[in-house]
Amino acid sequence: MKLSREFVRDGDAVAVQVERLEGDRFRVRVGDKVYEYDACALPDGGVRLQRIGDDGRGGVAHGAGSQQSYMVRVDGRTHALEAPQRRGGAGSAGGDGTVRAPMTGTVLEVACKPGDEVDAEQTLVVVSAMKMEHKLSAGVAGVVQSVSAEAGATVDQGDALIVVEVAAD
Amino acid sequence: MAVQPLLRRVLVANRGEIAVRVIRGLRELGIESIAVHSDADARCAHVLAADRAVSLGGNTAAESYLDIGKVLAAAKESGAEAIHPGYGFLSENSAFARAVKAAGLVFVGPNAAAMDRLGGKKAAREEAIAAGVPVIPGTEQDLGDDELIKVAKEIGLPVMVKASAGGGGRGMRRVEREQDLADAIAAGRREAKESFGDDRMIVERAVFPARHIEIQFVADQHGHAVSLHERECSVQRRHQKVLEEAPSAVVGEDLRKAMGEAAIALAKRVGYDNAGTCEFLVDDAGDFYFLEVNTRLQVEHPVTEFVTGVDLVHLQLHVAAGGKLEDALAGKDLTPRGHSIEARICAESPEQGYIPAAGLLELVHEPTGPGIRVDSGVYSGWEVPPFYDSMLAKLVVWGPDRATACDRLSEALKNTAYLGIPTNVDFLRRVVDDEAFRTAAIHTDMLSRRPELAEGPQESPDDHALAAAVLCQALQRSPAAGSSSSSASAAGVESTQVWSDLGGFRLFEVTP
Repeated sequence: MKLSREFVRDGDAVAVQVERLEGDRFRVRVGDKVYEYDACALPDGGVRLQRIGDDGRGGVAHGAGSQQSYMVRVDGRTHALEAPQRRGGAGSAGGDGTVRAPMTGTVLEVACKPGDEVDAEQTLVVVSAMKMEHKLSAGVAGVVQSVSAEAGATVDQGDALIVVEVAAD
Repeated sequence: MAVQPLLRRVLVANRGEIAVRVIRGLRELGIESIAVHSDADARCAHVLAADRAVSLGGNTAAESYLDIGKVLAAAKESGAEAIHPGYGFLSENSAFARAVKAAGLVFVGPNAAAMDRLGGKKAAREEAIAAGVPVIPGTEQDLGDDELIKVAKEIGLPVMVKASAGGGGRGMRRVEREQDLADAIAAGRREAKESFGDDRMIVERAVFPARHIEIQFVADQHGHAVSLHERECSVQRRHQKVLEEAPSAVVGEDLRKAMGEAAIALAKRVGYDNAGTCEFLVDDAGDFYFLEVNTRLQVEHPVTEFVTGVDLVHLQLHVAAGGKLEDALAGKDLTPRGHSIEARICAESPEQGYIPAAGLLELVHEPTGPGIRVDSGVYSGWEVPPFYDSMLAKLVVWGPDRATACDRLSEALKNTAYLGIPTNVDFLRRVVDDEAFRTAAIHTDMLSRRPELAEGPQESPDDHALAAAVLCQALQRSPAAGSSSSSASAAGVESTQVWSDLGGFRLFEVTP
């Protein structure tokens, strides 16, 4: 049994693979390096881990998130890890033309309607959260297919607001 | 503490951590607690902590916690005898205090007349002068250049030359030498004219670099008042406190006594009752100057509780019910004991200009241990609403001395996790571990002079961090069940439940 993930580090994708050897013993490959860990889950949601070997780095780690974006806290430091993405970034779509709410908030303005031809960087919708405005674009050029955002509506993080049909390259 | 047991049911007109903290105090006294909440807060920690909760409806503060009519209706409906306002929202609103009283209820805070006398900055300054409390010496009315220079010399240099319409530092200059005064005034007038269309200038003593030190006091309705000594809150960013401590490392017996007496004199002059805080600026010579009075319980009250052993919420309820200070505090030694520091944990990203964040807190792990207190308003699975303040919790520690308290806070922050949205936890630890904080060389401009503390070390995650991330995904039991596992399995590779032999044991589950 194995669990594989990919994260971006210094602009490069790094593959990380966890494989259970037996009991609490795991082999972890990070890029081309191989480590062994002793690890177990704690009832508070954390994981106690200890690297086997010279430095024996150990402690309790906590993590949360999705495969695309994962936050881990280890050695008193928080790391926000991102999986490699083809296109787009925070505050825009993941390159598939769907504009999602980056956080829970209120839709301030919808700046497009179905049928509009839009640029990759064009602001399509503005979402406000905690008094900050976020201007969202599709990250890809294309034609607006549907608009589910409505000015004044409350939206949850990850809600699809606008779908853009990606223009053929 | 012998507390006047006159109240049986109290409504807490607030949310989050402070509402939880007040409700805890009510429970300890055997008083029934009524929470109020907006629609977004229907499952907020304070609602879960209270005996009963009343919905105010709405989402924004204006639609809910700031709506005096709705709060009073909730008090009437629930049969509450008193209202505790917490801090923020309606706590310093004298119209609210009056409306509570007019409805035949007890307001757990100062009387409205005292609030009014200390409300405006100018009015408060005049009351302070009349009470003999030192204010920053300076001019107040419109003066010509020659008169301004004369006053500056009388006050003594360095002085601040400021636009009287001022704000944001424009038209403001610090002048160290007499021969520079005329130029500074002329330049200030030009800037002020451009920025504000008003070239009037004032001169006041430069209290800079300054420390923010405040006195906690409590007064009863029988003319007695007591100082519970100082808190230092010099670590600030844009006038928001970041770390607070008691006692101050630079306040000795004499200064403590003088500041305490000044605060008490002002409280007595305006007929104050209940808890209040008198804020001062203190310069490196040890001179202190009045800033303002906060007519409520402060965010940072726990550090005072730790070092004096006084429960401020209990004491507030006691004096609000008409109890005497001497009955509650008889035989108590109020001398500060040991050292306490508070860190405000906020959903914001200091690394990116302190942008606040809302959203799902997927995992919360709060530290425990000797001398550690967490006043929290969140839990794993709670969705932080975008409508209110970004503070999630306060981590407060006590140690026998300042160095031990610093070590304890640093270690406690290390063992703290609020994951799912950005927080300032790493930033707080950088500040606590900074040499300047450790040596108490702190002034109100510390964080603006040291932007690298907010920016952080820009290090990429090492192999250990990446290994930990995937081990967590493989092994971790998610207290916020649902969200993370569903998104992982939807992605199709392998679900987070790969180690099915570990079973699905959960301590608790949050039902939305």
